[in-house]
Amino acid sequence: MTDAYVVGAGQSDYGAFPDESYRSLFATAYEDALDSVPDGMDPDRIDEAVVGTLGVGGRQLGLPGPAVTEHVGLHGVPTTRVENACAASGYAVRQAVQAVKSGMADVVLAGGVEVMNDASGDAVRYWLGVSGETEWERLSGTTFSGVYAQMASAHMREYGTTVEQLSHAAVKSHENGAKNPHAQLGFECTLEDAVNAPTVADPLTLYHCCPTSDGAAAVLVVSEDVVEEFTDDPIRVAGVGASSDRVGLFQRETYTNVPASRRAGEGAYEMAGMSADDVDFAEVHDCFSIAELAAYEDLGFCEQGKAGEFVESGATRLDGDLPVNTSGGLKSKGHPIGATGAGQVVEVFEQLSGHAGERQLNDPRVGLTHNVGGSGGAAVVHLFEREEVAR
Amino acid sequence: MSVGIRAVGAYAPRFRVTAEAFEEAWGSFDAPGVETKAVPDADEDALTMGYEAATRALDAAEVAPEEVDFLAFASTTPPLAEEDLTVRLGSLLGVESDATRHVFTGSTRAGTRALAAALDAGPERGLVVVADCPRGEPHDAREHAAGAGAAAFVVGPEAPLRVTERVEHADAYPGTRFRRTGEERVGSIDAGVYDRNAFVRPLAAAVEDIEVGDLDAAAIQMPDGKLPYRAAGAMGLDNGTVHAGGTVSTLGDTGAASVPLGLASALSEGAERLLAVSWGSGAGADAFLLAAEGEVPVSLALDGDEEVSYAEYLRLRGEITAEEPDGGGAYVSVPTWHRSLPQRHRLVAGRCPECGTYTFPPEGACRGCDTLVEFEEVALSGDGTVEAQTEIGKGGAPPEFAELQSRSGAFGVAIVAFDAPDGGEATAPAMVVGDAAVGDRVEATQRRIYTQEGVTRYGFKVRRAE
Repeated sequence: MTDAYVVGAGQSDYGAFPDESYRSLFATAYEDALDSVPDGMDPDRIDEAVVGTLGVGGRQLGLPGPAVTEHVGLHGVPTTRVENACAASGYAVRQAVQAVKSGMADVVLAGGVEVMNDASGDAVRYWLGVSGETEWERLSGTTFSGVYAQMASAHMREYGTTVEQLSHAAVKSHENGAKNPHAQLGFECTLEDAVNAPTVADPLTLYHCCPTSDGAAAVLVVSEDVVEEFTDDPIRVAGVGASSDRVGLFQRETYTNVPASRRAGEGAYEMAGMSADDVDFAEVHDCFSIAELAAYEDLGFCEQGKAGEFVESGATRLDGDLPVNTSGGLKSKGHPIGATGAGQVVEVFEQLSGHAGERQLNDPRVGLTHNVGGSGGAAVVHLFEREEVAR
Repeated sequence: MSVGIRAVGAYAPRFRVTAEAFEEAWGSFDAPGVETKAVPDADEDALTMGYEAATRALDAAEVAPEEVDFLAFASTTPPLAEEDLTVRLGSLLGVESDATRHVFTGSTRAGTRALAAALDAGPERGLVVVADCPRGEPHDAREHAAGAGAAAFVVGPEAPLRVTERVEHADAYPGTRFRRTGEERVGSIDAGVYDRNAFVRPLAAAVEDIEVGDLDAAAIQMPDGKLPYRAAGAMGLDNGTVHAGGTVSTLGDTGAASVPLGLASALSEGAERLLAVSWGSGAGADAFLLAAEGEVPVSLALDGDEEVSYAEYLRLRGEITAEEPDGGGAYVSVPTWHRSLPQRHRLVAGRCPECGTYTFPPEGACRGCDTLVEFEEVALSGDGTVEAQTEIGKGGAPPEFAELQSRSGAFGVAIVAFDAPDGGEATAPAMVVGDAAVGDRVEATQRRIYTQEGVTRYGFKVRRAE
């Protein structure tokens, strides 16, 4: 089985863009990805495309994939739309890796796009609700923030996690996002801001919740047979792990963590022959601060129940032992649902290739991405490794 | 053998608004003798209040719902003008499909009409449920008086409470307390003496032929706190007897449930000889003389303790609230909802025959062993422990719940581990009535979930266990 490599990755700004369409946003990300390939990429080389989206607020439920790829000139390229709620494009990247590893394609475009800001608040709430367990969870009155708030309440009860510790995750992510020109909420906040912000779903405050975003991201995955045509500094996809779970939180074995994340992480580590100790930095799915804390535990960054102390210690800051969400994460950078997973890969690509600007880490070798669908009904983890020897 | 009343249950919502709150808002309060009145929660109606009273009556009688062979529901405010609501009520309670069913409405006499029908039918285990939450125009005396509550009677042979005499009387008085077709609010021509005569004369006439004798209590129709005493005067009863059968001062005008609630209240105070006289607009009256020949099991929940302001009252009544926004996206169809009624109404879970794990709802693979099995269906008791919870703030609810949240504000949502019979448990998400924290014990109740396409979905919610 051939190795897969990332040779280019790009994204649009994340935010609210009333003058952009989902196609134009995708085009921006696509062009950015092409431009990032060190030795250039001829669009004619693209064999396959995989696009993640929840459906652009319900406006393009059928064939949103071809709708964006034909828009950027990839006429005739086989395109698949992947939908796994917020893990849509994380799974799109996984599918691109599968296509390459299977030998069916040498160059695959994996990306995602979402436009969420041009619908009314009511319509967005209707739409976002479809990614939870609809018949029981939603109809008990729960929202997504409500489900994660339930996780937070259980985590607090079981492990003594505090609102301040949740807030440390938000403060850290805003600190990083302030250094990311693509970030939607690129400003810093204080611990007091986060703790004292209005409650969205108790115990989560506004600063514990990601924004509603428009945006797109694109990643170019190639096989080892052709990688040298595009770069001398390839970034290898060292491991891929994915898992699914029951869609409703109430149906799972635990409320404090995300079992699908745990299984996905284990799968990725095993495939890469690595452990959490090998990870230099990570982009984890922090749609809500409790999700980031749960991810620390699920991915083995700290012991079970210790995530609150871990984030409080500063370990996950840019200058910490294990920087997490250097991009600002979903919290500060933004969360355009279908684009989020691919967008995480963009950050890892930039860090590993030394193009992360103000937030550049010192010589990172291994980066991890962790993308969750819904409240944990799907999860996908990738490990990316900078090749030791330049080709 | 003739049948009597085996047990009584009663329920009133937990919210109260005071006469003073109305006086502050309107400059006067037009419901004499009413000090506070019960206000239904935003997700309560006559059906859910009736469920509450019925479960208490059945518990008190130690009768299982599946043993009920006669079910009557009476209300002047049925949530739907056309639908046999005993079918839904029976489903919420777990009454078998072949029980005899009757709905009584159209008059505040409906409650006693239902009781009379049950006594005549002579069921082995009859259940009469009376619930009402009348409304008037915000400015008028009927709205000032309008309260809410429900009472239920288990009827059957060898009952400790016997109805020794029954009389009814009708005398045409048009224009006194009426509700026009399609309208929610009760009206009246407010014709002073004519109105009083219309109330007093049929009641007095109904009692005229009864040897009343010594009474411990008299429950007389209570449109306000004054008229029952005026009627009692015409019947030759003293004020203390009427007071002993009264609930209007704390609950307000409970319409068809007024006399049944008065009976329940008096029985809980140990009354043994009682008179029940109800009035229905038009006008007609029912009079019952009752005698207790032993202890009558009574289970009441009438002590609401959450006072609301007049503005909150208006919100809860839906006078100043938003409606469900236009949406799209998520949608649970009525047929899909119907498929889950055993779970929504009676918490039927599935026990895995392979590993014993409970799965709720009982469909798909077992949550314990992931095997596709044929679940053994088990109805959970409804008692459980909160394992995770949150509060959904105003404006943050799913659109289906926008109206509810607009009326009642933030609400709690929990994941509850419900107790299963053999020490196991089944988890389910549930909206919380009131508040409950992680670790709290809760019990299930039935409330309105939401209304879409004109169809109200009823289902379980939880509240902190008493």
